[in-house]
Amino acid sequence: MSSMSSLSGVAVPGDVVRARLLVREGDEEVYELFIGPQHPSSGHMRFIVRLEGDVIVSVDPDIGYVHRTMEKLAEGREAIKAIALLERMTIIDSHNVTIGLVRALEKLLDAEPPPRARYLRTLLSEINRIASHLYGIGIAGIMLNHSTMFMWAFGDREVWLQLAEELTGARLTHTYSVPGGVRRDLPQGFADRAEKAIRYMTRRLEDYKRIFLENPQVVARYEGVGVLKKHEASRLGIVGPNLRASGIRYDARLAEDYAAYSEVEFEIPTFEEGDSYARMKQRVEEIKQSMHIIRQVLQKMPSGPFFAERYLRLLPPKLRDQVLSTGRLKFPAVFATLKLPQGEAVARAEMGHGEIFYHVISDGGSKPYRLRVVTPSFRNVILFRYLMPGHRFMDFPAIYGSLDYFPPEADR
Amino acid sequence: MGLLEWLISLVLSPQVFAPLIFPGLITALVVLLTVIWAERKIAARVQMRVGPLYVTRRFGGVLQMLADGTRYMFQEFIIPETSDKLYFVFAPVLALTLAILPFAFIPAAPGFSPVKSPLSLLGVLAVTSSVPLAVLLMGWSSGNKFAIQGAVREAFMTVAYEAVVFVSALAIGLAYGTLDLEEVVLRQHLPGILLNPISAFTFFIGMVMSAGRLPFDIVEGEQEIVVGPYVEYSGIIFGIGMGLAYLKLYAFSLVFSLLYLAGWEPLLTPLYNLYPALAGIPLFAKAYLVMLFVVFLRSVYGRYRLDQALRAGWRIYFPLALLSVLLSVLVRVVGYA
Amino acid sequence: MPNPLYSFPRHLRAIATGLRYLIAPNRMTVYYPEKIIELPPGYRGLIRYHPELCIQCGLCAMICPAAAMKMFVRKGEKRGRPGVNYQRCIFCGFCVDICPQNALEMVRVHDVAYERWEDMVLLPEKLAQEPVSPALAEGAKIVRPVFSEERGLVHEPA
Repeated sequence: MSSMSSLSGVAVPGDVVRARLLVREGDEEVYELFIGPQHPSSGHMRFIVRLEGDVIVSVDPDIGYVHRTMEKLAEGREAIKAIALLERMTIIDSHNVTIGLVRALEKLLDAEPPPRARYLRTLLSEINRIASHLYGIGIAGIMLNHSTMFMWAFGDREVWLQLAEELTGARLTHTYSVPGGVRRDLPQGFADRAEKAIRYMTRRLEDYKRIFLENPQVVARYEGVGVLKKHEASRLGIVGPNLRASGIRYDARLAEDYAAYSEVEFEIPTFEEGDSYARMKQRVEEIKQSMHIIRQVLQKMPSGPFFAERYLRLLPPKLRDQVLSTGRLKFPAVFATLKLPQGEAVARAEMGHGEIFYHVISDGGSKPYRLRVVTPSFRNVILFRYLMPGHRFMDFPAIYGSLDYFPPEADR
Repeated sequence: MGLLEWLISLVLSPQVFAPLIFPGLITALVVLLTVIWAERKIAARVQMRVGPLYVTRRFGGVLQMLADGTRYMFQEFIIPETSDKLYFVFAPVLALTLAILPFAFIPAAPGFSPVKSPLSLLGVLAVTSSVPLAVLLMGWSSGNKFAIQGAVREAFMTVAYEAVVFVSALAIGLAYGTLDLEEVVLRQHLPGILLNPISAFTFFIGMVMSAGRLPFDIVEGEQEIVVGPYVEYSGIIFGIGMGLAYLKLYAFSLVFSLLYLAGWEPLLTPLYNLYPALAGIPLFAKAYLVMLFVVFLRSVYGRYRLDQALRAGWRIYFPLALLSVLLSVLVRVVGYA
Repeated sequence: MPNPLYSFPRHLRAIATGLRYLIAPNRMTVYYPEKIIELPPGYRGLIRYHPELCIQCGLCAMICPAAAMKMFVRKGEKRGRPGVNYQRCIFCGFCVDICPQNALEMVRVHDVAYERWEDMVLLPEKLAQEPVSPALAEGAKIVRPVFSEERGLVHEPA
């Protein structure tokens, strides 16, 4: 089958173009399947898959089903309201999504959060990262019809959501960081509970290894499938664990100094193979690193206020004492009509899925002139076009699960 | 009265009782009811949750499948415009009939087989291998691309596992020197699983492949081709389609228990003297335990890729089955029968 | 094909792990509505309004990101009192955080359900009533989540 040999391995763009040109009207060889939005495992998007026998010739991702015009909506609201709006892009990872926006606003407003606030932001970011990776691993499991991995990942996620609930007051939509600091202080006994959660999770990761990651059946599905070579990954602009599993050691936590990442020690794991198995192992290793960071943050947490002094002093003294004693923030009244000084600001953050990039332009009013956000899934969606051709049809959900693609985030 | 006695003796005769009541149609339907519930509960226990509970709360929701079945009964089944209407409705009925046929050959107790024949093992295997034809008909007549993909997968898988199952059954038949299921049990002083463990292993794997249980549920690959050949079915014909795989599993489990687990031994003579079919209860228990283990595998495995399953079937399990034939020949030559 | 000597023990290990959890399951289901989970302090649930503390500044309606909080002006009132439209409320808590008089608080109740669309718009008088969880009103037993190293999250009776 000469067509198969020319399409095996990594497809260069010329291959895909050639493959599509091969699809002529009435071509009996090629079989078109619409893995549409009404499909048990297509997510909120559509794929137009062309098959020749059992081999995929081309995949066309059709995104946009969850487009909620968030960037345009942000132009019609005050900047602080955009925080609550934009965290719904990736609701499973909501702190990491908004911390980029908050950093951009802080750069415009020239407000620096105090050290305790930075450590608290790191804490919640890492809790969110663990929850997001568990979600990704669970979805990858169910894509292979491994329902135990799915249920275990989501059940263990409850532990981390409970921790986040005690810290912020909500399980998923935290709205925790605001320009100037954070909204809640650490509750009593949080460090003990977090320690128990970390020990439980370490134990469970061993079980995951035995039943999923080292299960020969799962390894057979993942090993050597969907190989993303290093030069391809950097040329296509891939971000996140997909990039690090292909051997490139890039992480926005190192590239940009936000929260307290420059003050804690952690490793960035990378793998060289770049196949789906490496991506799954990458996420498990990142969970271990996140737990390591959480331990250090709770140990080294500095004392002090959790909100910037320049805003706290705008509060009347009674409210200010209340804030510092109860650990719950009170916004100064100016927050309702906060004016952003004229200028532009750019900020990056590392989400569970990859690097998110914010660009805020303000013309001096309280509503931003333009708020642009580039989400990691939007940058990873090109992988569907480039990784799939040449593989068998049943590799499609395996590769999809290992990429941890999240459609609402890509569509914004 | 003469007529009533004649009717009762008719119902209690092996030719009617075995295929219809035990271990035949009615028992098969009860097994279907409970084993799907057991599958969901076992998976729930492993997966940190509870499973179906509320239908008969006190008994742990055991009649959940009855509720599901009742709902299927009352649901309108939609026949698509673009399908071959006659074959669309006919195919599941054909499949169900073919899936019940093996019970005509399976003996429940010594002397209690409906069709006594020196080739009953062959008969069972021949009939169960005709069920996939009906599934192919289901997939083809649906007129849906996903259904055709599922039908093609079923065709591939059938050829792969049938060879393994046939050769394994041949091996054990050779070891005991007979193809009559009743004789095989009577000659089992040493259970088949100890006499020829390789054959037991390959028969077991072939059984899992044929019933479409994880890790080989490729035909109903929900994540790729929705439900495969059954995708356009709704209502009671969907219920029949879903129950098919379990009926095949039940028939194969009974054959597995007869060939490898010493069937109805130890024979409970008091029960046998009361009514022969009652002595088949140990056989039924063994078959049920085998089924429970097969459905437990659902909570451990994901799905194999089609070409990996085919490669495993032809390159690993088929040579192993041939090896087990060699082992049987050796056993016969050494003189243990 | 993978080496069978390598993969067979790992198959057995996976099956053994499954069997271990089959024999000693670790269920985490909470039988709502017979049991109800006690929410932690600081949980952002439904809103309670204290009209005696309100100074009618209108900051809550100004900061609400979803435009769920609106001021309802009665005869003779200057800027009116807040009411909430729960169809729009996202339970972010900005209104509670900005109120300078602590007139708004969020109670630890979240499982209220409404039968009519119109009931979800709460006027200031309704907002001043304490929200009640229907499960608790029917006599649900309260369980509290406790972190455990072996079992993760265990729900013990409070």
